[in-house]
Amino acid sequence: MLTKKQKRNNWILVIVLIAASLFFLFPVLWMLANSFKQDAAITRDMNSIRAFVPPALKGNFFDNYVKILTDTSFVRYMLNTLFYAAVLIILGVIVNGLAGYALAKIKFPFRERWLMIIMLLMIVPMETIITIHFLFIAKVGLLNTVIGYVLPMIVNPFNIFLFRQVFVSLPDDVYEAAQLDHCSPIKYFFTMVLPMSKSVVATVSVFTFLNVWNDYLWPSLVFTSGDLLTAQIGLNAITSNDNTTMGQKLAVITMITIPVIIIYSLFSKQIVEGVVSTGSKEG
Amino acid sequence: MSFIELKNVCKKYDKTEKNAVTNFNLAIQEKEFIAFVGPSGCGKSTTLRMIAGFEEISSGELYIDGKKMNETAPMDRGISMVFQNYALYPHMTVEKNISYGLKNMKVPADEIKKKVDWAVQILGLEEYRCRKPKNLSGGQRQRVALGRAIVKDQKVFLMDEPLSNLDAKLRVSMRNEISKLHRELGSTTIYVTHDQVEAMTMADRIVIMKDGVVQQTGEPMELYEHPCNKFVAGFIGSPQMNFYDVQVERNGITFSDGKSIALPDTVTAKLQGYDHVIMGIRGEDIKFDGQNLDVYRETRQQAVIENTEIMGNENNLYFEFGGITSVARVSKYEVSRIGDSVDFVMMPHKMHFFHPQTEEAITVQGRGGL
Ligand SMILES: Nc1ncnc2c1ncn2[C@@H]1O[C@H](COP(=O)(O)OP(=O)(O)OP(=O)(O)O)[C@@H](O)[C@H]1O
Ligand SMILES: [Mg+2]
Repeated sequence: MLTKKQKRNNWILVIVLIAASLFFLFPVLWMLANSFKQDAAITRDMNSIRAFVPPALKGNFFDNYVKILTDTSFVRYMLNTLFYAAVLIILGVIVNGLAGYALAKIKFPFRERWLMIIMLLMIVPMETIITIHFLFIAKVGLLNTVIGYVLPMIVNPFNIFLFRQVFVSLPDDVYEAAQLDHCSPIKYFFTMVLPMSKSVVATVSVFTFLNVWNDYLWPSLVFTSGDLLTAQIGLNAITSNDNTTMGQKLAVITMITIPVIIIYSLFSKQIVEGVVSTGSKEG
Repeated sequence: MSFIELKNVCKKYDKTEKNAVTNFNLAIQEKEFIAFVGPSGCGKSTTLRMIAGFEEISSGELYIDGKKMNETAPMDRGISMVFQNYALYPHMTVEKNISYGLKNMKVPADEIKKKVDWAVQILGLEEYRCRKPKNLSGGQRQRVALGRAIVKDQKVFLMDEPLSNLDAKLRVSMRNEISKLHRELGSTTIYVTHDQVEAMTMADRIVIMKDGVVQQTGEPMELYEHPCNKFVAGFIGSPQMNFYDVQVERNGITFSDGKSIALPDTVTAKLQGYDHVIMGIRGEDIKFDGQNLDVYRETRQQAVIENTEIMGNENNLYFEFGGITSVARVSKYEVSRIGDSVDFVMMPHKMHFFHPQTEEAITVQGRGGL
């Protein structure tokens, strides 16, 4: 039972949270409402509350979207990005997961040192090493290829650390039991470790997806032209084109936001868990 | 050659000073049920894990079925194991848990099904086949762990305190189930426990350990009746054996509180050459009934009951005697209340004597030297 005072505090909290979320939500609502309007209507409504109200549902309601879908390759770019995200999720879980497992459970010389180094790497921003990645990929002739794009993105010290933190607390006797059940170490990793750690796999997958979806710098370096572009690059190309109307720009931005919103609403628990578990939970 | 043989097996963990296990020697016959007992940290699990192959053997040799196993991988040693914390696969159903090993061993599907059905049936797990471990009680989980071990037809069963997480009642029933399984399957079993009752009731032979060293190996009653040192005498049996520091007299012994008891010549002969010894006597060998009081009337003693433990079938009486709080175990017909003054006798032939320094049992006549 909550006391009276706790109840009152809860209400205050709810009101504050609603106010805060409205504050963050209103640009999004504005974007959504205006993405259905022609430019004239956008300018007209700018200074009134109608700026947040979508136009009437008439024949030309989806015009901006239709234009984007038919006149640009934006859908293609979105599908590209989804594909890259899928590849990077699978490879990332395997590679970072195996590394995290080794750091958590396998004894080898200087294991703690390695962990320290990987934790230090977490501090290094991607931007500072991206030139080196770029030069390397260019040298081996992988510019404008999927492999060139994916390769440097697979390893992620943060994800290694995340995996390690969760794997450290897996019971050793399960591994011993599996050994007696003729389960090889690799098989153990895939059929036991990953299924037993579903939530960290989900967390890492979500983070990887958001990373890939929102990344601009790296794809803009690797992909100079062509069909391989990601959604963010496509977005930039479309919005910086003088022929694109304001309404169309807002439609593209809305489209690129949708997957992120879906992911956040489906996996908010994993996202919070991921952030929390890196802080505490030392096995 | 015996089925399992440990020869001078030692274990020293990295970065530790002392051996966890020192010169472990044991020969186990096929189908034998062996229990390792001892206080916490005495090296029982370490020894078992060396047999399983989860810990490296620092020195010494391990043979299973005539083959040296020191370097063999756990899965090739022909063992199955039941773990203290069950170690079930949490994301698999009961059925999958039990069949997992068979699948990996490439057993044909119909045979797997037959085996799983059999295990599920004898362990009474039919209703739970499709449940995950987290939806099972401790006893059911332990049965799944047993099931996983028995379907694999391995010749050796290792169990590390498999019942320690269960409540007292369940422990008794699982104890019986394990004994029954052992009789039916006839696999050689090594069972680690710190519970001497489990060891006494289940094992063909018991190995008692202390600080990594085997103290005594033998059949349960042999250990109970003829403990080789004070540690074994105190470890086996409940309530604990009473130990008195006594002075050896020509025809008896004197306790530290000045009381003395005359002993028959056959007993005093054993104590020839000793000044002081430790005398041990079990609670049930201190008698309060009229008949025994009569037989041993010369050595009758008196004490005041200070505390009682009423168990129903038997009662423990605590009283101050010979410089320590002694305990006697009496039947329910010999009720005494706190504060009662009672007469009792100690059965001289049930007394155990131990060397005051080495604490080894004094058995052979006149081996003293103090
Ligand atoms: N991995 C390890 N590294 C270092 N020392 C260890 C390790 N495992 C066990 N020991 C030490 O070895 C000794 C024996 O431990 P072991 O686990 O075999 O005891 P045990 O008889 O099984 O005790 P318990 O009844 O508490 O399970 C203990 O002193 C313990 O501290
Ligand atoms: Mg143990």
